[in-house]
Amino acid sequence: MNSPPITHAWLCVCFRCESCVDMLFVRGSGNCVQCNTPLRKSNFRVQLFEDPAIDKEVEIRKKVLKIYNKRELDFPSLKGYNDYLEQVEEIVYNLTNNLDVEKTKQMMEQYQRENRDVIQRNKAKLTREQEELEELLLLEQQDFEQRRLQTLQDEQRQLQAKRKNKQALLDELESSQLPAALLLAQHKDRASQLETQIEKQKQNVKPTNIFSTGIMMGQTVSLAPVTRVEEVLYVYQPMHFDTYGPPIPELDQLGRLGYLNHVRTASLQDQAGGYTSGLACHRAVQDAFSGLFL
Amino acid sequence: MHHELIVLTKDYYMIKSMLLIFSSYFESTMYHNSSQKKFWTFDKEEALDKLRLEANQKFLSCAKAGINESMFLDQWEEKVLLRHYEKRLLDFCNIFKPAMPKSVVGTALMYFRRFYLNNSLMQHHPRIIMLTCAYLSCKVDEFNVSCTQFVGNLQESPAAQERALEQILEYELLLIQQLNFHLVVHNPYRPLEGFLIDLKTRYPLLENPEVLRKSAEDFLNRAAMTDAGLLFSPSLIALTAVLNGAARAGLKMEAYLTECMGLKGDKETLSKMYDSMRRITSLVKAYELPKIEEVNVGKQKLERIHAELATNLKRKHGYEDDEHVVKRQMVTEEEWTDEDLDEL
Repeated sequence: MNSPPITHAWLCVCFRCESCVDMLFVRGSGNCVQCNTPLRKSNFRVQLFEDPAIDKEVEIRKKVLKIYNKRELDFPSLKGYNDYLEQVEEIVYNLTNNLDVEKTKQMMEQYQRENRDVIQRNKAKLTREQEELEELLLLEQQDFEQRRLQTLQDEQRQLQAKRKNKQALLDELESSQLPAALLLAQHKDRASQLETQIEKQKQNVKPTNIFSTGIMMGQTVSLAPVTRVEEVLYVYQPMHFDTYGPPIPELDQLGRLGYLNHVRTASLQDQAGGYTSGLACHRAVQDAFSGLFL
Repeated sequence: MHHELIVLTKDYYMIKSMLLIFSSYFESTMYHNSSQKKFWTFDKEEALDKLRLEANQKFLSCAKAGINESMFLDQWEEKVLLRHYEKRLLDFCNIFKPAMPKSVVGTALMYFRRFYLNNSLMQHHPRIIMLTCAYLSCKVDEFNVSCTQFVGNLQESPAAQERALEQILEYELLLIQQLNFHLVVHNPYRPLEGFLIDLKTRYPLLENPEVLRKSAEDFLNRAAMTDAGLLFSPSLIALTAVLNGAARAGLKMEAYLTECMGLKGDKETLSKMYDSMRRITSLVKAYELPKIEEVNVGKQKLERIHAELATNLKRKHGYEDDEHVVKRQMVTEEEWTDEDLDEL
C-alpha cells in the first residue's frame, strides 16, 4: 500500500491510504476489502490517532454524546448522575466492540425519543456557552490589537518629533544670525525637553475603573472585622512507640553512659558529613533492644 | 558518601547505619513496627509447615492433567530440596565478587524462604528464584552491583550468563509480588553489634565480650539457614547467639538479663525469653545438610516436572494465563544447570 495520508472508515476499522480509497470507489463497489462491510465515501475521516480502535471510539463517543448530553445539574442526586454516566460508557463500549449493536441502537433511539426536549435544551445551552467563550476571546483579541496599534502610533509620533527637531535645527543653522554653539545648546535643550515629555507620557497610566479581582473601583467595601474562628490550639505531644524491649538510652546520653568508648570514632571525613559515632551506636543498640520481649 | 569509606571500614554496619540513621527517628525502619514483624513472623513452626503444605497442595490441584501422581514432590521432598538450594544460595553469595555484606546475604536467604512459604518448588524452579533473590537483595540493601557484574559471578559462558540474566529479570517482579512488596528485612547482624557494645558498656562482669563475637557470628550464619528468622525477632536471635557463645565458653550471663535489662522483677518475660532462646538453639542445632541421595532423587523429579510443564505450556500455543505474572518457563532452552554451580 502507498504511504500517508492515511484515512480510515468508521464502520469497519481497517484503514487504508487515500489513493486506495479512491481506487475502491472508482471500481464502484462500496465494500471494504478486508471485512465486507458496505462503506460510504462520506464516512472516511483522516486518522488522528495511531491506534485505529481509538479513533473509532472517539467518533462513536462524539455521536453518542450528541444524544446523551445531560449534565450534572439535570440530576437530583450525584448517584443518579453517576449511573447515567455509567450507562453512556456502556453504550460507547458496546458500540466500539460490536456487542449487542442492535439492542444498543434501539436503546439510543428510545432515549432520544423520550428526552427530546432535554436534549434540545442542552444543545442550546452548549451553543450559548460556546458563543460566550468566543465573544470573550474576540474581546481579548481586539484589546490586544488596540494596544498594539497604540504603541505603534506612539512610536511613530516620537520618531516624527525627533525628525522635526533635527530639521528645525538645520533650518536655524542655515537662517539664523545667532552663533552655532548657542543654537546647538538650544537644540539640545529642546531635545531633552521632548524626551522628558515622552517619559511622562509613558508613565501616564490609563485610568482604569476596575481592580484585577473584578471589584469596581470606588465600590464601598465592608470594613467590618472578619469573624474569628476559634480553634483548639495544637499542643505538641511527642510520639511514643512501643519497642517491645528494654528502654533504649537517648542519643545524647550515649557519650556520658560510656557507650561511645566502644564504637569506632568518627574520622574527620565522617564528621564533616555530619556523622557522629553516637548515631551508629544508637542505631545498633536500638536494633538490639527492639522486639526483645516479644 | 564516599565509596572508599564503605570498602575500607571493617565495621561495615557502623557506616551502613549512617545511611539509615535519620530514619531511626521515623518509625518505619525499626523492627517493632516493621512489615517483618506484622506479616512475616509466625508463632510456631507448625504454622510454617501448614503454609508450605498448602502451597504444595495448591500446585497439585491446579497442575495440568497428564502428569502421573507419583511424579509430584511431596512435602518432605520439597523440604530437602529447599535446604539444598538454600545452601547453594549461601555458597553463591559467599564467593560473590565484590564481597557481599552479611546483611545482603541474610536478606537474600530470607526472600528465598518467604517465597517458598507460599509457593511450591514445582511451580517455580528454585535455581532461578535463588538468583533472583540474590539480585533483588543487592538492590534493596543498596549493595550496588550491575546486572552484568552479577551474572559474571556465574561460572558460565557469556551467552548462558545472558540467558540467566533474562530469566532473573523476568522473575523479579513475581518475586516482589510474592513477597507482598515487603522488601525490608531485619537481620540479626546489627543487633549483635548492639549487644556487644552494650555488654562492653554495662556489663563489667564479662571482661572481653569480643571473644564472643566469632562464635556468635557463626551461630547467626547457621540460624540463617533455619526458619528462625520467620519465627523470632532478630534481636532475640542475636541475644541467643551471644548467650550461646558465652555458655560454650563457660561464662555466666544471667545477670546481664536480670540487671541490665531490668528483668529482675519480671519473671514472666524472662521465662518467655529463655523459652524462645531454647527454641532458637534447638532449631539451629537440628539443622543438617540434606543427604546427597535424597537431593538427587528430588532433583530428578523436579526437572521432570518442570520439563513436563514447559511442554504442556508450549502445547497450549498462545494461551495466556492472566493470573500469573511470570511468563512461561523456558526450561528446555537453559543450558546452565545446577552442575555448573557445583564448580563454585
